[in-house]
Formats: sequence, C-alpha cells, structure tokens
Amino acid sequence: MTAPLVLPAPAHRTRQAAGRTRTQVLLYAFVCLAVFVIPLLIDSDFLLNKIARYIVLGMLAMSLALSWGYAGILNLGQAMSFGLGSYAMAMALKLKTVPVHTGPEGLPDFMVWNNVPSLPWFWEPFHSLGFAIAAGIIVPVCAAAALGWFMFRGRVTGVYVAIITLAAMVVVNLVIIDQQRFTGGFNGITDLAQLKLFDITFDAYGRSTYYLVACCLTASLFLALAVTKTKAGLIIQAIRDHENRVRYFGYDVAAYKIFAFSLSAAIAGLAGMLYTVVMEFASPTFLGVPLSLSVVVWCAVGGRQSLVGAFLGAVLVAGMQGALSESKTFLETWTLVMGGLFVIVVLFLPKGLAGIAELLSVRIARLRQRRNATVAEPKPTEVGP
Amino acid sequence: MTAHLQLSDVSVSFNGFVAVNALNLAVGKGELRCLIGPNGAGKTTALDLICGKIKPTAGSITLRNTELTALEEHQIARAGVGRKFQVPSVFKELTVRENLQVAYSKRTGVFANVMRSCRGEETDGLDMLAQLVGLENALDKPAAYLSHGQTQWLEIGMLVAQDTELILMDEPTAGMTAQETLKTADLFNRLKGKHTLLVVEHDMGFVKAIGDVISVMHQGRLLAEGTAAEVERNEEVRRAYLGSGGITGA
Amino acid sequence: MDDALQQFITGLSIASILLLVALGLSIIYGAMGIINLAHGEFVMLGAYAAWALQTQLQIGLFASLIPIFLLVALFGWLIEHFVLRFLYARPLDTILATWGIGVMLQQAVRLLAGGELRYVQMPVDLSHSIDIAGVPVSVYRLFLFAAALALFALTWFLMNRTTFGVKLRAVIQDRSISSAFGINPGQVYGITFAYGAGLAGLAGALVSPLKSVSPEMGTGYVVDAFMVVVLGGVQSLVGTVASAFVLGELSGVIAFLQNDTIAKALVFLAIIVLIRFRPEGLFTARVRA
Repeated sequence: MTAPLVLPAPAHRTRQAAGRTRTQVLLYAFVCLAVFVIPLLIDSDFLLNKIARYIVLGMLAMSLALSWGYAGILNLGQAMSFGLGSYAMAMALKLKTVPVHTGPEGLPDFMVWNNVPSLPWFWEPFHSLGFAIAAGIIVPVCAAAALGWFMFRGRVTGVYVAIITLAAMVVVNLVIIDQQRFTGGFNGITDLAQLKLFDITFDAYGRSTYYLVACCLTASLFLALAVTKTKAGLIIQAIRDHENRVRYFGYDVAAYKIFAFSLSAAIAGLAGMLYTVVMEFASPTFLGVPLSLSVVVWCAVGGRQSLVGAFLGAVLVAGMQGALSESKTFLETWTLVMGGLFVIVVLFLPKGLAGIAELLSVRIARLRQRRNATVAEPKPTEVGP
Repeated sequence: MTAHLQLSDVSVSFNGFVAVNALNLAVGKGELRCLIGPNGAGKTTALDLICGKIKPTAGSITLRNTELTALEEHQIARAGVGRKFQVPSVFKELTVRENLQVAYSKRTGVFANVMRSCRGEETDGLDMLAQLVGLENALDKPAAYLSHGQTQWLEIGMLVAQDTELILMDEPTAGMTAQETLKTADLFNRLKGKHTLLVVEHDMGFVKAIGDVISVMHQGRLLAEGTAAEVERNEEVRRAYLGSGGITGA
Repeated sequence: MDDALQQFITGLSIASILLLVALGLSIIYGAMGIINLAHGEFVMLGAYAAWALQTQLQIGLFASLIPIFLLVALFGWLIEHFVLRFLYARPLDTILATWGIGVMLQQAVRLLAGGELRYVQMPVDLSHSIDIAGVPVSVYRLFLFAAALALFALTWFLMNRTTFGVKLRAVIQDRSISSAFGINPGQVYGITFAYGAGLAGLAGALVSPLKSVSPEMGTGYVVDAFMVVVLGGVQSLVGTVASAFVLGELSGVIAFLQNDTIAKALVFLAIIVLIRFRPEGLFTARVRA
C-alpha cells in the first residue's frame, strides 16, 4: 500500500466473515455426516441403492451451482459432463464382462450385433480401469475447457451461453445415438461388470457402493467449498456480479470462467462415473435434455448460490419424484406441480430453499440479539402517549 | 521529462460520429492532470480509450513507452492503468471487504489465486484502507447497501488498493457533499507524486484544489492546456463553453 | 428439371411452416428480448384447440382460426401479466420460467386430452392437388404459403405503420423515457407478448392437418423457430422471412441427402457457431463498426 496512507490499524476488527465460514463448514460437515449415517438406519438394499442414486444426482446439481450460482454461467448442458463420465466408466466395466457370444477378451455384445470387426482404437485403453477413471474426469474437463474457451474468449454471455451449452450437449447426444456401432446407440451400454477397486467389489446394491458415493460427495463438496473460499473463488463471484469491472483490475475474465466451468465439469464427470456404478448401465438419457434441465430445476429449488442447497434440492425433488413414480397419474400430476413450483421459485425465491434458511437464521439471530439486549438493560415502561 | 502517459493523434468514431478527433495529450510521471470540457467533448471517451474499453480507430496510446492500443482490458490494467467509472462501478453483491480484496490485484493468474485464501497478509492493509475511505464500520456490508457517496468512496478505495501507476478518475466527486469533496481533494493531493492521475471533473472548485495543469477538450480535440487561471482567460475556451453557463457552471 | 422443381416446392412448403412458427417468436424475442421456451407449447395449444373445436364442436378449421388466435393470445397475455412482468431485469430467469410454463402446459394437455396422437381434418375444399408445371402441389400447402406471407405482411404493417408499432419501438429503445412520455410499457409488452403467442397458436392450428398432434409436438418447433430467428437476426422481420426461406430449402435438401440424426446435429452445430460469431444474425447489417 502507498506509504503516506498508512494509518493506525483499527482497534475493532469484524470477525463476521470468518464466523460465517465456520458455520458453513459445520453445516456441510453435518450434511455429509447424515449421508454416512443413513445406511445404519436402513436395511433395504433396494432403498439404499435408490438413495445412493439421489446423492449422485445431488452431486451433479452441486456441480451446476458452482458454475451457475457462483460464476453466473447457466450451463443448460451440465448433463454433458455427467454423461461423458458415465460412458467412460461404462466402457471400462463393459470390457470387464465376459461376452456371451465371443468369450473372454471378445468384443462387447452390441458390437457383435452391429458387425463391428474388431475393438475400435478408442475403446482399447479402457481395458485399464485407471485410464477409464482418469478419462471420466479428464474428458469432461477438456470438453468444457474447449467449449468455455470458444464461448468466453468470444465474450458470449448470459442467455447465449445457456443456448450454446444446451445445443452442444444435444450434438454430443445425437452423435452417441447415431454411432450405435461404437456406443450402443439408444440402448446405451448395458450388462456391465461390477467395479473392482483395491480388492473391494462395488455391487450396486451393496453398502460399499453407497459409502463410495458418500466419500466422493464429501470430497467434492468440500473441494468446491474450499475453492469458493479462495481468492479465485471471490474473483469468480465478482465476475458474476459485474464482469466488465473485473477486467479493469487486471484479471483475465475468460480464464476464470473457463476454470469455474471446467471444475464444475470435473465434479459432474465424477458424478457420472458413480451413476454408472449405481445404475449398472450408461444411457444417452444421461446426457439428455430432460435430465439436464431437471438439474437446473433442482439447483433453483435448493438454491443456486448454495452448494449444499443445490445438493439437498436435488435429493428432495428427485426423491419425491422417485417416490411418486409408482403410479403414472401421480407422476404426471407431480410433473405439473413441479413445473408450477419451479415457476414460483424462479419468480419469488431466486435463492431457493437455501435463501429461506438464510433468512430464517438471520431472523433468529436478530431475535436472540434483541432478547439479550432486553435482558441486559430492561426498557423503561412506557407511560401513556 | 518524457511523458508517462502519451496519447498521439488518437481518433475514434461511432457510425461516422467522431467522438475523439486526433487527440494529443501528454501527462508526466506523478502529475495530477485535470481534464475538463463541455458536455460531449469526449472526456469519458478519452478515458475509455486509455483503459481499453474502446479501441481507437487511429493513433497510439503509450504508458511508459508500452503501446496500450493492442492490448486487452485486463492486460492494460496489468500494465498499470486503473480506472474509476462515472457511474460508480463496484460489486454490489460482495461486501466492502470483498470488494477491496478483489481490487487488490498484485497477482492476477487463476492458479496463483486458487492457492490463496482470502484471509491473508493483505487483510490488515485493507482494514486501514477502509478506514481511509471512511468505510471501516461497513466492511461486512454488501456494497448494494451503501449510499451513493459511500459507493464513490469505495471505488476510490478500490483504486488505491489496486495501486496502479496511472489512475483514471471519471467525475470522482459527483454526488458528494462539499465536505466529502474536500476530503477527496486531500486524498488526491496525497496520491499524486507516487501515482500519475488523470481526472475528469466538472466541479471547477475541486479542479482548482487539486490540479496543477488543466487540459480542456472540445469536440473531441484538445483545445487548451495550462493552469486554471490561464485556461479561464483563454478566448477559445470561453467560446467553447458559451451557452452552457461558462466554465464554472458546466 | 421436374425433380428440382419438386424439391424447390417442398422446400418452400417447409419454409412457410417455419415462417408461421417463427413469426411469433421473432416478435417476442426481437421486441422484448425474451427467449420464450414455451413458444412450442403455444403452437401445440393452437393445434389442440383446432382438434378440440373440430371433434367436440364440429367447427371447421377456417372458422376456428380467429377464436384460436384470441384464445392463445389471451393465454399469452396472462403469462406476461402474472409471470414475465416480474422478470424483465433477469433475462436468464425468463428462460427458466418460460420453460417451467412449457412443462406445465405440456403436462396439463397430457392429463386433459391424453398422450395419444390426434389428427385434424384438412378443410375439404383444399384437400386436393393442382398441377404446377407438371408437378402436383397440394392446395393446402399453397394455402399455408399464402397464409404465412399474409401474416408476415400484417405483422410488418403493425410494427412499422401503426401507432402501436411506434410505441413498441419506443419502449424497446428506452423503457423509462417512453413511460415518461405517457406510454404504458407494461401494456405495450403485454399486448406484444399476447400477439406473438396468438401467432404461435395460429401456426399450430394451420399446420395441424399436416402433422400429428401430440403434447410433445412443441419441442421440435421451438428449436426450429429459434434457429430461424437467430439466423435471421433479432429485430428484423424481413431477416426472419429470408432465413425461413433459406432454412426451408436447406432442410429439404439435407433431408434428401443425409441421415436425419446427423442433419439435426448439424443444425445444432450451426446454431452454436452462429451465436458465437454473428449473434446479430446473417441478414442484418452490423450496427457498430
């Protein structure tokens, strides 16, 4: 700082920001702990698998909150990263199965049906599970970085970003459907082996898979939270607020946006891989428009500016939908109600349920403060008008 | 003394309207230069050109002999240009403290900043800075809740935090009380010497309180340059201000 | 030669449908800056209204056009009045809200009318074909072509030659200043949105005899219409016509040559590239140098 401007440090320094961070960390830790405790209370493997599924979808919503809520990039194609991750995992697990027709080391069944003569070159490295896991994160990150570079270097913003991301996802989706010989087309990749990692077998309906999902959730939730607390996280929020102003402080806005966009894609890719393990297949619907827009709904309902809010929003809404899916009429009515709820949230609760929680906590804090104040110095009783 | 900031024959036009026409301007290192002129003279456009918001159609702009016209906004900022906007531009959703942290931009790379927590060695400096601009009790308030005058102060504080060689100020005292204006003049007088300042102002009282040399723009050109007294005596300047209530009323 | 003419006429027919569907979106997007993702559902509502009037009340397609226009326009007005009005400062949220409305409309229709395909009868007078230079052409398709041109002419007249059009352009330029001059921007936007929605409904009714009617039919139309508007350039009605023509002829050719999935993927790629490099559209002059 400029020498002549140095003044004595103020005696009173607010600790409010640090306090807020502490509350946040406690809240996040509590949610993760709850996720770990759930299997102790449930003994239906079927239900546990369902819950694992919702947690994975929650991770996906959380990844969108990072780019939408923090960086202001509304990625309507968030499911693209998710789908790419899930296909990477599915390809590896497919190669681990023993095909019925061709025996060990033979071609996957759908390639046989489509008269593919030999394993295509880009399938080869997926014999290695390590490669597949790396690809499940690196491929979505590279795709996002390339798309981000294309958009943000050209200063595409707002609504146009939403449309480009959606269109890009549709292109990838269509290509996967079209290239049935190599991707399984509409049917996706099914009949997968179970994931085996460090001598642990992850059965989709077993506890090990649930705990794997829970660990990945905890890790990515805290990673994302940590990033938002760094200086880069602050700059990203400044970009959301007033993009052009940030440039005049010397920050390369496009670079920061690409970073946020790619980090979000990495988490979505991880979630996609887990989804394949939990669902035991990969399908083009994993990078379809309906799922991708649902993620936006979950995020908006839970609170786009809160990572844990988006997570809980997804678990809540997807869980509700799952519970109602037993009956067709229920499900259809639910879709109608959901649409209406979504419009109301967008209109009146731009911060979602997390916004309500924040408001309530502020109210309670203020109430407590007032009560303490009245205890400390009782107000004189008012006498007449 | 060679000029610190040099504009040579800079022109820009929008749809055929020439906003700045072969402008030449030289500001020495550590100087505080005031830029005045009637409405539509191209003062704000001149600042826009220097900080890269607008690209000139012709001419060259150099800072310390670095050509700025080929650079992008963030590169110009890194080269040492800070800018305060006419409409105070701060981050409304962020707190005052966070605003100052963003402005403190010694390191601008993504990866350098991912490794840095927001609470670091600079926090003490930022607290002092907040005190300097009278916002020490509003540090954790979102900037959206500040008054207009406070927002002006915040942006000035952000520029001090950014600590660039050249600071461009577009009407820094607009919306300030007389007392606040006085305080601003005091601050500017302390900034000059270490920083080079280019200040666009309408308030002649303020200009006289801070400026050594005044440049007058009219219709996109440099009309006159000199001390306040010289400029006020200048015939051409009087003519340019004709009809707008004279130089002090503009 | 006949093949080429046949191809050209098919393209023209596709173009007239594109123009019909895109006109309403062009008004709403161009004038109000709203990307209305419920636009396809407005088209779908129009088609369902035509079906309902025909099967339930035995009203022919021609007689039902004006009631359908008014009905869907009213619908649009309600949506503008109760939802979009609050979102003008938040364009991203408008996309989300209109999408939510679209989902609701789709689901409501599915619950009320069922999910199965419905068919609308073509007016008897127009269900034959005539011969143009040796190529048989459906009279109904000719009628659609004329209707598309007529609606375009009407819209152009409304926007450029009436007081309402002047008011609308004033509001687009500067909302607060025009309200200072006594224009009620809310009302202008409400009417504009209603008109755009009514046009979409009309488009739905007009194309319904050629396509099967289903709750999901709108999704495809919104993409097509959006493509037309982006290509033609926002705020340019003439550009919309030009791009509808180009896209109609192109999609005729593409459908002829290529497989459908890849053709669709190419359309989306084209949208991406276009938005990135010419967000102002192909058929408008660049405003700022």
